[in-house]
Amino acid sequence: MATTISPPAAQARTRTFASEDKKPPAPQRTWHVLLYAILIFYSLFSLGPFLFALISSFKTYADILSPSLIPHPVTFANYQEIFSGANLFPRYIVNSLIYAGGTAALNVLLASMAGYAFGRMEFFGKNVLFALTLAVLMIPSQLILIPKFLVANSLGLTDNLAALIVPAMVQPTMVFLMTQFLKSLPRELEESAMIDGASRLRIFWQIILPLARPAMTAVAILSFQGAWNDFLWPLIVQSHQQNYTLTVGLAFFGRQNYIAYNLLLAGAAINLLPLVFVFFFFQRYFIRGISTSGLAGR
Amino acid sequence: MQGALRVPGAVKGERGKGMSRKLRETLAAYGFLSPYLLILATFTLIATVYAFYLSFFFVDFGFTEPEFYGTKNYQLIWYDLTHNGDFLISLKNILFYTVGVVILQTILALALALLLNQKVRGRSIFRTSFFLPSLTSSVAISLIFIWLYNSQGVINYLLSLVGIQGRAWLYDPTTALPSVMLLNVWTTAPTFMLLYLAALQDIPDHLYEAARVDGASSWDILRKITIPLLRPTTFLVTALGTIGSFQMFDQAYIMGGADGGPLKSLLTPVLEIYNTAFAGSNPRMGLACAEAVVLFAVIFLFTILQRRFIDTNIQY
Repeated sequence: MATTISPPAAQARTRTFASEDKKPPAPQRTWHVLLYAILIFYSLFSLGPFLFALISSFKTYADILSPSLIPHPVTFANYQEIFSGANLFPRYIVNSLIYAGGTAALNVLLASMAGYAFGRMEFFGKNVLFALTLAVLMIPSQLILIPKFLVANSLGLTDNLAALIVPAMVQPTMVFLMTQFLKSLPRELEESAMIDGASRLRIFWQIILPLARPAMTAVAILSFQGAWNDFLWPLIVQSHQQNYTLTVGLAFFGRQNYIAYNLLLAGAAINLLPLVFVFFFFQRYFIRGISTSGLAGR
Repeated sequence: MQGALRVPGAVKGERGKGMSRKLRETLAAYGFLSPYLLILATFTLIATVYAFYLSFFFVDFGFTEPEFYGTKNYQLIWYDLTHNGDFLISLKNILFYTVGVVILQTILALALALLLNQKVRGRSIFRTSFFLPSLTSSVAISLIFIWLYNSQGVINYLLSLVGIQGRAWLYDPTTALPSVMLLNVWTTAPTFMLLYLAALQDIPDHLYEAARVDGASSWDILRKITIPLLRPTTFLVTALGTIGSFQMFDQAYIMGGADGGPLKSLLTPVLEIYNTAFAGSNPRMGLACAEAVVLFAVIFLFTILQRRFIDTNIQY
């Protein structure tokens, strides 16, 4: 079935572009060469800084400012120094993992629950609450930064890992994403279970959740990414060094060791690699998250 | 047949206790929603109202009771704005930054999307590599660019190959902000490229076909069909871009330091809010809230202006 549908669609899409005949005339061939040249150039422009930084993180301090593409000599000393007892780096990494992992797990569960109510149930106040969710997406987070800090502070949520996780454990964006997905599932799924008298909780757990796996993966990845990259909130709520996340630790490290670019790059690489890795395996979820929620920016 | 018979029966049964069924459903729904509503109320709704409320108070770290200030915080901001204070500098910086970044990143995002919408091999590979900068952490990217922008860094090396004399980009007040702008265009454009790509896929092909039959050139098609039909996406992209740009903090803080870089050229409103609230020996959280309210008003105004501007420019 799928094969009978996709070729016309693919063809229709290509119809919008220049070439329709088998061998394109000369100006089109030049255009194609130019097109690929631009695409390759921009790819280098995109990936270059990361690759170059990653490679250079194996350079020595003396070599770090040389523009050579290959470290000479290759050294692992930067990484060794970062992971040595003198720094709290391992601690920062663990903190970041707890923050990002905890936020992701809780968002998957709690945003699915909220999304289930919004997407598949009829109840008093639904429209108002969903409109509120959409409205909240428009509030710049910096507007409420200080009161959010004061509220967290009065709840005892400062200078601990809960201060990071609790305010972020179920986010309007993720609720919106889950709602949109769960809405799209066919009605009939729950009907027979409902007639048989299954409770809402049971339907949610046994029927909806197993079907929601793609959306749950998107929520998990996007909330992990958000927390892993978060900087301002951890900077504000954590005052003791052992509670810093990797981003905060790196920022202060960057300040103190202003010229120690070799260590700086090794630290940056440690911050970048997990996400890059996750991205290459799950990129369609990142892309889906952005195109369904329409939410972007940083 | 059996199933068909069963359903009306079920409905009839429900009708008897219709009210209680509805109530049960509502209770169940609120059960599912309760964690979300609790967090939303505590950290967003209360915080929003609280932000506005606190902007009329003197608040320190919470050692003393908030003291009612009336409009004094706003008067302080007004004084700052009329006497070239830090908040005014930060607003000027961010205005320049936002206008530049939004225009450049929107054009770049559209251009990249148009390129990737062509019939090319390895589209997904290109898309993946284009997208990478917008995925990664602003902290790591800022650190990498501190190194790249260094006076002996690779950017100056590449410039020297074409005979241009580089400089210490982030230490020079005239180039610090533009350097951060370029970095952020590079990191945010790919996200918006995805939104444009999605919108491009939705444009019906018969429009292009009709235009081709009428003998329109590719340029005409782009100008008269594609770009006008992308207008809702363009509004979304510029609005999200504006809101995002106005909130720039991480890059300024890391690349310029808390005092806002060389001659305050990297001082942004959020950095100023952060400094007012947390830095120094006398934290003034009420004033910081008032600054946040002003910033919010500016963002709001800009978004409305954008809507008007984009809507009134419709030419069919």
